[in-house]
Amino acid sequence: MENQAVEKDNEVILDNRDEKLGEGVGFERIRRITGYLVGTMDKWNDAKRAEERDRVKHSLAENA
Amino acid sequence: MDLLQQKAGPTFSGAEINKKGLIPVIRSVIKRDGRRVLYDQTKIASAILRAMEAVREGNAEDAARVADSVEAKLEAIFPAKSPDIETIQDTVEHQLMQYGFNDTAKAYILYRANRTHTRDANTALMKTINEITQEDAIDSDLKRDNANIDGNTAMGSMLQIGSAGAKAYNEMYLLRPEHAKAFREGDIYIHDFDFYHMTTTCTQIDILSLFHNGFSTGHGYLREPQSIASYAALAAIAIQSNQNDQHGGQSIPNFDYAMAEGVGKTYRKNFLRILTDVIEDKKDEDELQDAVEKILNDVERIQGELAKLQNSPDFDYRLAAALSDGMGIAREDMAHMLKRVRARALKRTDKDTYQAMEGFVHNLNTMHSRAGAQTPFSSINYGTDTTPEGRMAMRNVLLALDAGLGHGETCIFPIHIFKVKEGVNYNPEDPNYDLFRLSCKVSAKRLFPNFVFLDSPYNLQYYVPGRPETEVATMGCRTRVMGNVYDPSRQIAYSRGNLSFTSINLPRIALESHHDEAAFYKRLDELLELVAQQLLDRFEIQAQKHVYNFPFLMGQGVWLDSDKLHITDTVREVLKHGTLSIGFIGLAETLTALYGHHHGEMPEMEEKGLEIIRHMREFCDKKSQAIKMNFTLLATPAEGLSGKFIAQDQKRFGKIPGITDREYYTNSFHIPVWYPISAYDKIRLEAPYHALCNAGHISYVELDGDTARNVEAFEQVVRWMHDCEIGYGSINHPVDRDPVCGYVGVIGDVCPRCGRREGHRVPQRRIEELKKLYPDIVAFRGIE
Repeated sequence: MENQAVEKDNEVILDNRDEKLGEGVGFERIRRITGYLVGTMDKWNDAKRAEERDRVKHSLAENA
Repeated sequence: MDLLQQKAGPTFSGAEINKKGLIPVIRSVIKRDGRRVLYDQTKIASAILRAMEAVREGNAEDAARVADSVEAKLEAIFPAKSPDIETIQDTVEHQLMQYGFNDTAKAYILYRANRTHTRDANTALMKTINEITQEDAIDSDLKRDNANIDGNTAMGSMLQIGSAGAKAYNEMYLLRPEHAKAFREGDIYIHDFDFYHMTTTCTQIDILSLFHNGFSTGHGYLREPQSIASYAALAAIAIQSNQNDQHGGQSIPNFDYAMAEGVGKTYRKNFLRILTDVIEDKKDEDELQDAVEKILNDVERIQGELAKLQNSPDFDYRLAAALSDGMGIAREDMAHMLKRVRARALKRTDKDTYQAMEGFVHNLNTMHSRAGAQTPFSSINYGTDTTPEGRMAMRNVLLALDAGLGHGETCIFPIHIFKVKEGVNYNPEDPNYDLFRLSCKVSAKRLFPNFVFLDSPYNLQYYVPGRPETEVATMGCRTRVMGNVYDPSRQIAYSRGNLSFTSINLPRIALESHHDEAAFYKRLDELLELVAQQLLDRFEIQAQKHVYNFPFLMGQGVWLDSDKLHITDTVREVLKHGTLSIGFIGLAETLTALYGHHHGEMPEMEEKGLEIIRHMREFCDKKSQAIKMNFTLLATPAEGLSGKFIAQDQKRFGKIPGITDREYYTNSFHIPVWYPISAYDKIRLEAPYHALCNAGHISYVELDGDTARNVEAFEQVVRWMHDCEIGYGSINHPVDRDPVCGYVGVIGDVCPRCGRREGHRVPQRRIEELKKLYPDIVAFRGIE
């Protein structure tokens, strides 16, 4: 196991290269709520969450 | 006294026992909350006396006698037990009537009823506060009503508790009973009701005027800024300051024109500094800045222009000549040096501008306002300034938006709005076409900018080339303020905004009408009148405020004509530049309830939908002309409202397929989000409503991630919006990010870059390898 300090962007990171990262870290999902965005969907109210869940994609296939 | 003796009253056994010095039978009373307290007969007597005094009937002695009789009754009912408050009060009512104190009995009953109402309201309020205090936001929909407020924080909770208290007070004391009823029962929704008696919604802040005069944010005075860094910093402060005076969005309508000045000032500084350095090096001398500046000033005076990104063709020729003479440098050398100076000043200024724009965007995502509970709800409009300085500001704010925050996160504020205009940026030969393309590219990655279309006829009618205040700008999610019946000479975007808005539950009216079109319109007219009156009532409250109630908005002259007011003046007249807006939700469900289909399903419904919305707009126009105030029709944003009306309607009508069977009503005039339709058709069908909803509107389409990444396709959709005469539009696509490897894009169950599942682990070795492959992971900077 190699342990080395890597300096990058004035930041010293302990580089433990066999260690695993990301335990419990979720993906961030940003969506437009009305006309603005919200950093995480955790903050959406129940109705808007339901609406987001129901949204279907609009195809560009046919031009009316 | 006589009165009492005439009545065959009961014996006063309890009192007699007392008088004999015996222990009374009743020793304690059970309060409403279950607590047991010592019995005190004088409390009963004084309550009776108060009721007697209110109706001028009886005296203290009468009150004492009735109280005695109450006690006796209670002893009979509760031998050796504690009576509860409700029973005591029932007995008081009964005994008052027994003794013929009928008016007193009525007063006592009324008093009890009022106390009960207040207690119920207080209980509801306390329950609400309890939820805010005890529940985690994840379990409490109430705490997530506005996604912008973090209900888990101290300041967020304090704001929510204040909001709950204000709502309870406003409903009890400020609304007419018919308005309170309509609001409570879900016929209408009064937005930002907690702020009912406090302030107005939003403003387009003309930061150029603000900067030119300098301004104050409370303590100390800020002079006109002198560099792009200060322009950007003060723009953020202006937004933050105004946000403390209003509950709605804060917007800058002229971000490009304003930042252009800052870029110009920074360029001139950089130009002078680099020019001085180069000449000092050449001459191997120090302290030449004053001499160089004097020569530059002279040339600028003769030319009638400051040194800027692009001066007139002979500017540099003259400057080189003057410097050559003044500094004793060969003409040819000086001309060559000047070219180098130009190139370096340009590069330096571009870098400074990027840093300023990056700082601005970071500021607006982190600075707090409104009791520290929220980041300001900010928007910036730009796109039409064709000067090199304005273009440099826009290019860099787009690049900063593209780069994202410190770890590449997508910025959620400010909302960027790109103003699309033929002849300026829409066609390939237009001077800002490159910026329009860049906007599409950035929006395809970061969801912003949104696009406002100045060529749509209802926007174009106000447009005067060279006068940016006549360009429609939007605010927050969609608010638009342009027309002005109060002052038709001021049909501009700057320094104005919405005063308040109230939405109508359209699907409810449709359901109540049972497919009867005439009944629908009759009820709609009733509610339009009711809402107009309620908006005017609210205006009366707002109008009585003084300039000192809005220290920034009015005190610093942000709002139109407020600069003409004294600090102690009321704001009534200047507020009339603002709009009173009537909103709506659920046109799709309304059409389904009335006719069986919504406007995405069949062509006949397109006209039926427009009829309803046109009817509402005509009402607003007529009202505006009659009162000379700006009544406008709003396609309500409805974040908190999306689930409120339908929950009430489900209780009343049950779950009706296609109408009340979901958790939300469809936003404004939108085609339902769940209805399959092509992007082109959706835009085409929604566009005519933009013309009608003059208080604000937005349409968006959902593209899958890969389509959105195709900038050509993305631009085609924006162009289709323009050609369909959409007013304000944007394109939605999933923007996901894996904080571990930094990937931004569409992420399903598995991150396409590092291959981890949500919440799972990935070896650091893999992340290090990826960092080599994608060096932009953390310190991501711009699009090549």
